[in-house]
Amino acid sequence: MNLFFIILLILFSSAILAFISNRIVRGSSGIIAFIGITAASILFFTRLSIGNTYSFTLGGIQMQFGLNSFTYLFAIIVLGLGVLASLYSIQYMKGKERLGYFYFNFVLTILGMVGIIFSQDFITFFIFWEIMTWSSYLIVIYNGYSSSKVGIKYMIFSALGAYAMLTAIVSIKGIYGTFMIKDAIAAGAFNFTDHFYIPILLLIGFAVKAALMPLHVWAPKSYSMSPMSFTAIFSGAMSKMGILGMGLVLTSIYSHASPEVSVYSLILKQVLGWLGGITAVMATIYALIQTDAKKLLAYSSIAQLGYIVVGLSTGTKLGVMAALFLAVVHAIFKGTLFMVAGAVERQAGTTDMTKVSGLIRKMPYTFFAALLSIIALAGVPPLGGFVGKWMLYESLITESNNYFLVIVVFFSSTAAFLYSYRFLFGLFLGQEEKETEHVKEAPLTMVIPMLILALLLIVTGLYPGILFEPIAHGMEYLGYSHVNWDMSVLTNIWGEQTNMSYIFSLIGIVFVVVFIFITLKGYKGTRNVGTKEISTSGEIPLEHENLTYQMDFFKPFERAAAPLYKRSMNKIWNDIGNALEAVFNFTRKIYTGNGQTYALFVIIFLVILLIFKDSLFAN
Amino acid sequence: MEDLGLKIFGAILTTIMAFAVGMTYGGIVRKLTARVQNRFGPPFYQNFLDLVKLQSKKTNVAHGFMGHTAPVWIMVASITVLMFIPILNGNLWFPNLSFHGDLIFILYMMVFGSLGMALGAGQTGNPNSAIGVTRGLSMMVGFEIPFVLALVALMVQYHTTSIQDLMQIQHESGTWLIFSNPFAFLAALFASLGMFRYSPFDIVGAPAELASGPMSEFGGKYLGTMMSGGSIFAFIKLTLYVDLFLGGAGNPDHTGIWATLAGIGVLLIKTFTLYMVPVFYGWVSPRYRTEQAIRYFWGWPTALGIIGLIWAVY
Repeated sequence: MNLFFIILLILFSSAILAFISNRIVRGSSGIIAFIGITAASILFFTRLSIGNTYSFTLGGIQMQFGLNSFTYLFAIIVLGLGVLASLYSIQYMKGKERLGYFYFNFVLTILGMVGIIFSQDFITFFIFWEIMTWSSYLIVIYNGYSSSKVGIKYMIFSALGAYAMLTAIVSIKGIYGTFMIKDAIAAGAFNFTDHFYIPILLLIGFAVKAALMPLHVWAPKSYSMSPMSFTAIFSGAMSKMGILGMGLVLTSIYSHASPEVSVYSLILKQVLGWLGGITAVMATIYALIQTDAKKLLAYSSIAQLGYIVVGLSTGTKLGVMAALFLAVVHAIFKGTLFMVAGAVERQAGTTDMTKVSGLIRKMPYTFFAALLSIIALAGVPPLGGFVGKWMLYESLITESNNYFLVIVVFFSSTAAFLYSYRFLFGLFLGQEEKETEHVKEAPLTMVIPMLILALLLIVTGLYPGILFEPIAHGMEYLGYSHVNWDMSVLTNIWGEQTNMSYIFSLIGIVFVVVFIFITLKGYKGTRNVGTKEISTSGEIPLEHENLTYQMDFFKPFERAAAPLYKRSMNKIWNDIGNALEAVFNFTRKIYTGNGQTYALFVIIFLVILLIFKDSLFAN
Repeated sequence: MEDLGLKIFGAILTTIMAFAVGMTYGGIVRKLTARVQNRFGPPFYQNFLDLVKLQSKKTNVAHGFMGHTAPVWIMVASITVLMFIPILNGNLWFPNLSFHGDLIFILYMMVFGSLGMALGAGQTGNPNSAIGVTRGLSMMVGFEIPFVLALVALMVQYHTTSIQDLMQIQHESGTWLIFSNPFAFLAALFASLGMFRYSPFDIVGAPAELASGPMSEFGGKYLGTMMSGGSIFAFIKLTLYVDLFLGGAGNPDHTGIWATLAGIGVLLIKTFTLYMVPVFYGWVSPRYRTEQAIRYFWGWPTALGIIGLIWAVY
């Protein structure tokens, strides 16, 4: 039997097993899911190599599984994050209800993503895409279907994307007579020549999963309402499936566009780039007014995906490389951050930042993981996030001459400092309150995945070349030639460099020297105090007086940026929804469901026919 | 190896100079401000005395790990950026790594210290610190926009993202960039008002309102180290502006001892002149609220930056 089938079969059977075993031994499904995903990953990384393909026929349609160097990059994200998230999930989900249901869908989502990575033709692609969508939908409604209509929104937008994609796929078959992705690209399906709607429809389908504005409104709540161990995958890996599709379509558009239609691809570049930029800005400013850490992270995911789309839209070497690098790094740090939020939720009962604060002394390891991932998220040197941001800016400035987009992206990433700080301060810093006195560090199997991911951020900062290698191979598969990369030196096309190893060693040396100085100097005279011993300008706060500052955290910024907050895509979609509902209500007046009314309609119809029969059937 | 030793010596020399100059400038401003307000004021070396006092405190109060490392982050950011900014053009006495990190890197590295300090201030649990931090971060979103516009304008105009190259261009053409793109310079100059946090943009520390904002819980060795880091950072900001817009200092063709001293003299004159802009502006301005400050930077300074960018492109 073929290896592709074995890997999918392992995942599928562990999904079934996880579903059944929970009825026999309570709580065992998490372990089975973890073992299944780990086994599949081990098989994948040891036995499967790039270039393997396997064709088979199903129902008269030729299908093909395969692995190329572009999808391999995404396999690293999906399986790597999948293993760690399922390990984390064992303790996180402990004691919750309907574990069989949860893990069945959890593994099935990963199966869907692995299937997408394997598929070489549009039919298998679409089937696995739907498996992924449906199983993730079932997890989104895990916490209750009715909770603020979150499930229905996700489903409507996913269905919209799926229909768009299906239309495009059927059109490709009708026009070019093939379902194979490679053949369709070679035949010029994405050339923009005659059938420019095909790539557009496909892009819409992918943009839904990548939460690109204006198709993002499902994301904030779906991300924040699902169990955190799943959101780590949902935001970290599943959104990247949209990026996978967009990368494939966009690069073929750019590299195959003939001169006479290249103006369309220029327009597409601008439109996509600005959509990405505006997505980043709007999601960022909404992230910084959230009081729930989970929602903050959900909005921040949308913003980060905006950067990735900006990078992809440039189509230049450095830009696409930045986008793919950011995609991997985003999976790492956002996976960690959602796990951190989950750990806080499990240990302290809530992630509402107005209720929890000062956890740093109670959960030091979780804080350490959160700190590193926030540094990477903010793009501050020297971690992996900076490498991606650097390449993104340089590509916009030096290669695609999109100067004003640089400013927009920069605005969003400066404003990102605000919510980054809000997240760390809200959960871990600030006053220690009585309500959180009982909180302890999360269990070991939850801390280990977080720390592994956080340490990966240091590695990707010091040696970004580790990621450049698969990225460069993937880009060469997409049609870029001579993708240069270095182990730890970043270079733009003007020849300017940033050398991560110099930066790392300099920061390291200065940090160690100053840290030793400040620790040893007056060591005996240094007194460690808690958060209650602070200067209060002579006043002594009473026992019940609260010194926590968490409400209206960035009110001044909100006031300054008030015009930006006026427009909300969510409101526009809600208006559209309400208008549609009004139309449906009108329809309901005609189709009342009463047999007598329908009989009346038939009679009226016959009467009309009789009255107008001469003019209608004149000849 | 001898070469490396010389370089390390040069790096230490650079740090000491940056520290001394930054501290002295701070002292001079204190004196001048006092004279303008019709007070006698402290001597210009008062900052050094303060530092000695702070570092020799017998008891220090530590507020957990992030509070303990807050001054360390500031020092790390200051010294790292200092190493990547050319002090004198092509002078061997002041070696630097500017070939290994360009303007985008500097831009990001410059916020490193503020963020580290913000985390430290957060852990102390003092609400004044947290309020100060939110104000500071919000204001940063304000002034970074014109600053980045100015920098992008320069990068686009001269097709380089390296500070060393921009200095070389000014040296070779004999024209300072302040004349070849005055709009970008003005935008950056407005941004510098926010960076130095003198009045009217002193809402972050806000004396008489927030104690001293983010710094309120730090004392002794912590405050002393922060002060040193802050002084180095003030010198860095000034030097960066001089390098980018005012032609830098020093001559790569003459690197003898006298030429070096002359270069340092020129650098001091230029930086001090530049430093007086936010100081003068502060003397005559009352304090803005945070949202007013942000709006200020998003108004004319940003417009000037956009004009500068368009000027650079066409």
